Amino acid sequence: MLPALAMLAAIVVYPLVASLVTAFFAQSLVEPGRTFVGLGNITELLGGDFWRLLRQTLVFTVGATVAPFLVGLALALALNTRIRGRATLRGLLLIPWLVPSVVVSFLWMWIFNANYGLANGALEALGLIDEPRAWLASPGTAMAAVIVAKTWASFPWILVMLLAGLQTVPGELHEAAETDGAGAVQRFFAVTLPHLRGIIGIVLLLELIWNFQHFDLIYVMTGGGPAGATETFATAVYETAFQGYDLGRAGALGLLWMLLLLGMVAIYVRRSEREGQL
Amino acid sequence: MSKRSARDSRGSRAAAWAAVAVLGGFGLLPVYWMLATALTPAQQTFRYPPSLIPTDLTLDNFANLADEPALARYLFNSIIVSVITAVLSVVVSAYMGYAFSKFRFRGRRSLMYFVLSSQMFPQALLLVTLYALFSAYRLLDTYTALVLSFTTFTLPLCVWMLKGFFDTIPDSLVEAARVDGASRLRTIHSVILPLSAPGLVAAGLFAFVRGWNDFIFALTLAGREKTTLPPGLVNAFLGEATAQWAELMAASLLASLPVVVAFIALQRFLVGGITAGAIKG
Repeated sequence: MLPALAMLAAIVVYPLVASLVTAFFAQSLVEPGRTFVGLGNITELLGGDFWRLLRQTLVFTVGATVAPFLVGLALALALNTRIRGRATLRGLLLIPWLVPSVVVSFLWMWIFNANYGLANGALEALGLIDEPRAWLASPGTAMAAVIVAKTWASFPWILVMLLAGLQTVPGELHEAAETDGAGAVQRFFAVTLPHLRGIIGIVLLLELIWNFQHFDLIYVMTGGGPAGATETFATAVYETAFQGYDLGRAGALGLLWMLLLLGMVAIYVRRSEREGQL
Repeated sequence: MSKRSARDSRGSRAAAWAAVAVLGGFGLLPVYWMLATALTPAQQTFRYPPSLIPTDLTLDNFANLADEPALARYLFNSIIVSVITAVLSVVVSAYMGYAFSKFRFRGRRSLMYFVLSSQMFPQALLLVTLYALFSAYRLLDTYTALVLSFTTFTLPLCVWMLKGFFDTIPDSLVEAARVDGASRLRTIHSVILPLSAPGLVAAGLFAFVRGWNDFIFALTLAGREKTTLPPGLVNAFLGEATAQWAELMAASLLASLPVVVAFIALQRFLVGGITAGAIKG
């Protein structure tokens, strides 16, 4: 096990720490040397861009967690009945989760295309919009469009997890509740939901952690634009380091980002411990 | 009573159908649209409103991809890097997963926390130092850099999956091998690993899929020579004015095919894997 540990230390721990240390320096990606600036980078951020980035990251994170959760939950409940063809459907519905993130991005860029896109065509046919819109190029709709794409890519995993959870709900409980006169909706809240609490907690927590640092879809679909409207911590750190070459600022952003993330990861680890996975 | 429950089950069946129709459509229509666009003659994609059912099916978009030699190179790179990453990750993490599962030693729990949480930190941040590191050792734009950087996310994943798998192998087997005089390594190699073939395959496949789907590491650490399909496709198709949608959908289909096929082929190993723990970021 030593080789694996050494490898993890070399490629994860050291780089992470080293990247965070740059927060306290003025340092460039392409030029050697650095000067210590203390908390300068951090105070500069807190007096400026940080809050906008935090707000936008939270909008993305919450949106891209709640929406696929609701889709996944509804489908899991539906597929947990004796509906015909459900095994095939469950298999097919995994496709969005399997395909590479850049493919998800390309596909939804095409669907949301301003001139020839399927989204415009469908919404206009349904009478929901009057004229084609540039979903990804308007600051008002770009974030929502990216969240829709992320929802599509994320719901299958949630569906599979919840379906696995649903199959452990004892049938007798439902029968007993039914004999007592509980309707389908009542049974859902009184029997199903409490039984799924553990798995729902894990799923939501992991999705929050992942979405809080999601990069691919945002970077490919909008590049953080238009006018910074879809910029999050992930794209901002990346752009600052690899297009602005400003490692000090990138490190400072990263440090604040990590502190927020650490809280969520700590909750997750403690939860896993309680459930006896460790 | 029976009347009531019959009505309920009819009602919930209707609700189930409605959910499947609407949300299943949200899940599958885009897949269909990718396929339909890829099979539509390029000039017909410039029509508004778009027509859901393509009229003149063609394979031209796929044929056009063959004219771009760079794409073949990206595909080759993707295969090499993902396969090496998968094999390396499984080999290295098998021992670690085994140690976590069967040995009780000081610091075991803290190490497990460490492995569990190491996959939860931002890749963009890791990259800042990895880039400098690989640059200093002149490893930028090499397979080595890509494989090493991919193991940052495949190693924790494989360790975790394999630990879960080894947990299901009874300790009495290990004990029996010890009584027969087998050393620890011998026990792993001749008793445990052969029994764990499904687990090893599943872990390897997940590592392969994650490597295949990576975007940010290859985008940053590889240049034109060694880059993989995802950044390669972005560079090839997303310019100032993206217009080759039909070709891009054809390329997307090809890039998705290996992971989808691998998954379908090995589905019975994998459904357990998906739910076994933290799998995808």
